[in-house]
Amino acid sequence: MNELAPVRLTLLRKQFGEGVALDGISLTLEPGEVFGYLGPNGAGKTTTIRLLLGMLRPTSGQAQVFGLDSWRQPVEVHRLVGYVPGESALYGRLTGRQHIAFFDHLRGRDDRAEATALAARFDVDLGRPARTLSRGNRQKLAIVLAVMSAPRLLILDEPTSGLDPLVQQEFHALLGEYTGDGGTVLFSSHVLGEVQRVADRIGVIRRGRLIAVERLQELRARSLHRIRASFLEEVSAEDFAGIRGVQDLSIGDRSLRCSAPQYALDALLKQVSRRSVIDFECAETDLEETFLGYYGPGDTGSDTVTETHGGETDAG
Amino acid sequence: MLASLFTKTLYDQRRGLLGWSVSLVLLVGMYVVLWPSLRDQPSMSDFLKQMPEAFRYLFAATGADMSTPVGYVQVELLSFMGPIAVLVYAIGVGVAVIGGEEDHHTMDLLLANPVGRTRVVLEKFTALALGTFLLAAVTGVSLVGLGSFADMNLPAGDVAAAMLHLALLGVVFGALALTLSASTGRTGLSRGIPAVVAVVAYVVNALAPLVDWLDPFQKLSPYYQYIGHDPLREGVDGPSVLVAVATVAVLLGLAVLGFRRRDIAA
Repeated sequence: MNELAPVRLTLLRKQFGEGVALDGISLTLEPGEVFGYLGPNGAGKTTTIRLLLGMLRPTSGQAQVFGLDSWRQPVEVHRLVGYVPGESALYGRLTGRQHIAFFDHLRGRDDRAEATALAARFDVDLGRPARTLSRGNRQKLAIVLAVMSAPRLLILDEPTSGLDPLVQQEFHALLGEYTGDGGTVLFSSHVLGEVQRVADRIGVIRRGRLIAVERLQELRARSLHRIRASFLEEVSAEDFAGIRGVQDLSIGDRSLRCSAPQYALDALLKQVSRRSVIDFECAETDLEETFLGYYGPGDTGSDTVTETHGGETDAG
Repeated sequence: MLASLFTKTLYDQRRGLLGWSVSLVLLVGMYVVLWPSLRDQPSMSDFLKQMPEAFRYLFAATGADMSTPVGYVQVELLSFMGPIAVLVYAIGVGVAVIGGEEDHHTMDLLLANPVGRTRVVLEKFTALALGTFLLAAVTGVSLVGLGSFADMNLPAGDVAAAMLHLALLGVVFGALALTLSASTGRTGLSRGIPAVVAVVAYVVNALAPLVDWLDPFQKLSPYYQYIGHDPLREGVDGPSVLVAVATVAVLLGLAVLGFRRRDIAA
């Protein structure tokens, strides 16, 4: 079972000259999961992915795909993997149909029917040269090329950064069907919002180190709720301060404000309802904020994480 | 056309190949048109004879003689313009097929398919070699074909032999560029080094008869393998072909080793 893990990184390390791009990463993906690989730009996401595809030679450690060594057995690995590169680079002069024919040949398969269906689903014009397509359409074509051969593992390097929300939704649905059929997905992004609706687990990489791996469900359970209540009578801080998990408590003139995770809500509500309540508000903060609360905006990429925050996160 | 990596590489070169073919036909045509007027001017041959020896060796081939069609073609086309055209094409393709593809960020896309790096190098080289032979063939056919309009009566067999050697010269330098680009991924360096080597090889071959200390190096020059035995008069030279083929084989081996060892640029 362990040998057949779709992805297994063991103390993977990569140095470019003096610079350490990856500093000993160990990670195992489970079959059928979508793993969100998060980190600011330059943290090492693309380096990890390219080591996994055998494009780069590990300085030490090992990257394996279904038990195959990525550097020593790249051809066998590539047979099992569909890849969407970060640059969404394509052959500018070739049309979508020509890309499909070429890749079919390289893979020794005939996936034209599947590719045509996928292209129709994502509304990609297969008759136009890639360089005349918009960034989003090139990305969609790259997705079609990666998925058409029904690989067992999909490795996606920021696949949705150029896609509009509707297409992203369709893409998420596709990933759902794909994992439903037993496929596994490694999905990198610099924003949690891009992966939070599809990922089962997320890993956070920063400056070449994997600083956290967790189930999204658990992160959700820890996500804070903002609570405001106003009362008919005076309340005192002591009544609420003792509740486990309550943060940022501030007591005003017959009012209360605080943040609390899910597990603290019951105790808090019971405490609140002992008074006469005029008004009560409870709003869940979005996951991105929780995430940043735990892992901080980071030193190198604070701008990337916070800037993009909010665009996609509120819809979930 | 996209049924293999080999044909895809040729397909990528189609504009380049067409452009170079048209240019070479025009170049040959121009020399053919000029021939009748030059033929009637014996002073051209005198001019060559009066040149300082070093210049004659540098700019014309051994036994330069502008009074016969064979001598004329040898001086004008084979010793200078022909090799330049073929080398520029072959070196350019050698650089483009590996380093160029990395510069365009498509190498990841290609290599993410189940094709080994060895196969990538070999198929791309095969396309390079075929393209180079095609250009030499176009030159040869237009020499014989267009030459007949001006009664040049070039011997087709010897022209073919000269073109074979010309193509091999191009393939040697194309393979050098391919090896450098496969082992380093750096396009500037992979273009520059073969260009410098080509100039040095040219000068060594041309001046070796005049400069004693260059003499031992002459036979190492790919130009010597190309034109040292006077292919337009003597036909194919087996040993020269062998040396060129062996050089290419060694370079290809190094290209495969170099490409398999290194990190691909994103």
